[in-house]
Amino acid sequence: MSKTKIIEAENLTKVYKGKVKAVDKISFYVEEGEIYGFLGPNGAGKTTTIKMLNTLASITEGKATVDGKDVSKYPAAVRDVIGVVPQELTADDELKGIENLLLSARLHHVPSGEARKRAKDLLALVDLEGSAQRRVKTYSGGMRRRLQLAIGLIHTPKILFLDEPTLGLDIQTRTKMWEYMGRLNRDSGLTIFMTTHYLEEADGLCNRVAIIDHGVIKVSGSPSELKQRVGGDVLTMELTQGPDITAFLKGLPDVSDVARNDQVYRIKLPRAERALPAIVEGVTRQGLEIKEISFTKPTLDEVFLDVTGKSMRDEASGESDSLWQNVLNERMR
Amino acid sequence: MIDETLALTNRALKKWIRNPASVLPGLFTAAFYIALFGNSVNPTNFIPTSSNGVAIPAATLAAIKAGIFATTFGGAANYITYLTAGVICLIVVFNMSFGGIDIVLDRQLGYFNTLLTSPIPRASIFFSGVLQNLAKAMLLALLTFVVALLVPDGLKLTSSFGPFEFLGAFAVFAMLGFGLSCVFTALALILRSIDSLVAIVNFINLPLIFMSNALFPSTSFPSWLKAISGVNPVSKACEATRILIINGNPSASGQLGTFTGDVLYLVGFVVVMTLLGYLAATRAMRPE
Repeated sequence: MSKTKIIEAENLTKVYKGKVKAVDKISFYVEEGEIYGFLGPNGAGKTTTIKMLNTLASITEGKATVDGKDVSKYPAAVRDVIGVVPQELTADDELKGIENLLLSARLHHVPSGEARKRAKDLLALVDLEGSAQRRVKTYSGGMRRRLQLAIGLIHTPKILFLDEPTLGLDIQTRTKMWEYMGRLNRDSGLTIFMTTHYLEEADGLCNRVAIIDHGVIKVSGSPSELKQRVGGDVLTMELTQGPDITAFLKGLPDVSDVARNDQVYRIKLPRAERALPAIVEGVTRQGLEIKEISFTKPTLDEVFLDVTGKSMRDEASGESDSLWQNVLNERMR
Repeated sequence: MIDETLALTNRALKKWIRNPASVLPGLFTAAFYIALFGNSVNPTNFIPTSSNGVAIPAATLAAIKAGIFATTFGGAANYITYLTAGVICLIVVFNMSFGGIDIVLDRQLGYFNTLLTSPIPRASIFFSGVLQNLAKAMLLALLTFVVALLVPDGLKLTSSFGPFEFLGAFAVFAMLGFGLSCVFTALALILRSIDSLVAIVNFINLPLIFMSNALFPSTSFPSWLKAISGVNPVSKACEATRILIINGNPSASGQLGTFTGDVLYLVGFVVVMTLLGYLAATRAMRPE
């Protein structure tokens, strides 16, 4: 029996001020109880999509439903069932950790006794029991992120929206966050819609991933399906100099595709260990010198490269310099 | 709606109280206006103490000063007694106008979006902005009143100034504050940068103070300024509260008509500003 589609988007489009098309006719669905990830570089349209789904941004064209409710027609009903953990560190600095949680509970109409119980449980979940009575301004960046996750869950939402939940965290804290999110999904069946530009995050955490770039979904599926799509291992070979040997490489057995960028060849191989000797021998026989050679198992970066023609890792290096980013950096110290 | 409004107001006040750097400047401003401005700019200080090299007798000087206070300063015992209501109105105006900065910051830091994605009425967000600034201003108004009583040769209350007059005066300050807070909260919700807000606030609040009788009686104003001052809600609030502070019970002092007119004017001001502010604010809180 197929699961309920708890989020559905059909030709969702967002144009800001009539000029900037941030999201362009995207369609997707999220099943109840799954972790669905939007993977893409900065400016790809991930946050805009979340904003349309959580009622912060109007929908220019198309339609979206959350828990069966049309987002444009019934925004208040949508807000009742969602939890939102934004990119920004929004927990109040001057309030204590517990006060932030209880305030959020009150705004979500959770009875006071129940709110205290949930706050205690959530603080335990995110390992912040010992810091509950401290003001948030004394928290580290990782503690703030964990508190933020707890705030998003205090009213036990049906769907949790996480916008870049581990942005700016060190790898240990990021791993902890993944653990919390995975546990929430497994233990309570919470549906999670998340955006990220961390490949490992999407790969390790999400049941299904959509790769988005320039406001368009390029491909979607489970991480393993997407990686299979790349066509096996990828051999990257750089020659010192010489003519274009793309056609020669394509003619070798077990080579499924070759892409060339100057003297760097990206060769897709179903099984690299079997094809490697023939490639090296063939190149050497032509009198060419190999400067560098490496092969990788396919990653989501390979998938991204495959569908967009560029690497996510290169894209991620161009971080935005908005006010909140500065504030974020300040708060993460 | 009420619970959410109170929850958000409580949040803002907790933040305010816990951060002395945000409370003390307001208090210092009040103290400086009362103690420094009140003494240095006291108009009766400008009366010459001698004429043609002959000293004017102290009793004559005192009689001249008393005459000026009786005719020009509404019967106040001294300039600080006259000034107190004006300084409190000034504190109210400045707190309301700059109170919006917290709202802009909430928006810039992303906290505002967490409110917009919560299942709370938009009116709660608007009215909590109004109430938090009003509560801050009223506390500062109270402290200013105390400062005015404590400074040497400060506020002199008449024997007919009792609890009702005290509550009446603060109710008038609160009406002025509420109306202004509606305007400035809406402005803060519309404008998304602190620079723009500060520029507009300064454009509004300085004329609002200087084109009123907050610091000096409007009798000395040129006719055009007097006309503007006559419809300025700050002038109305100052006039009504001065009637209570200087003369006590308005009926007893024969100023009930003026007092009632001022209060009704402020009620109208509150109603109109609440409607306009709320409409503008809900528009500003629509999805992007």
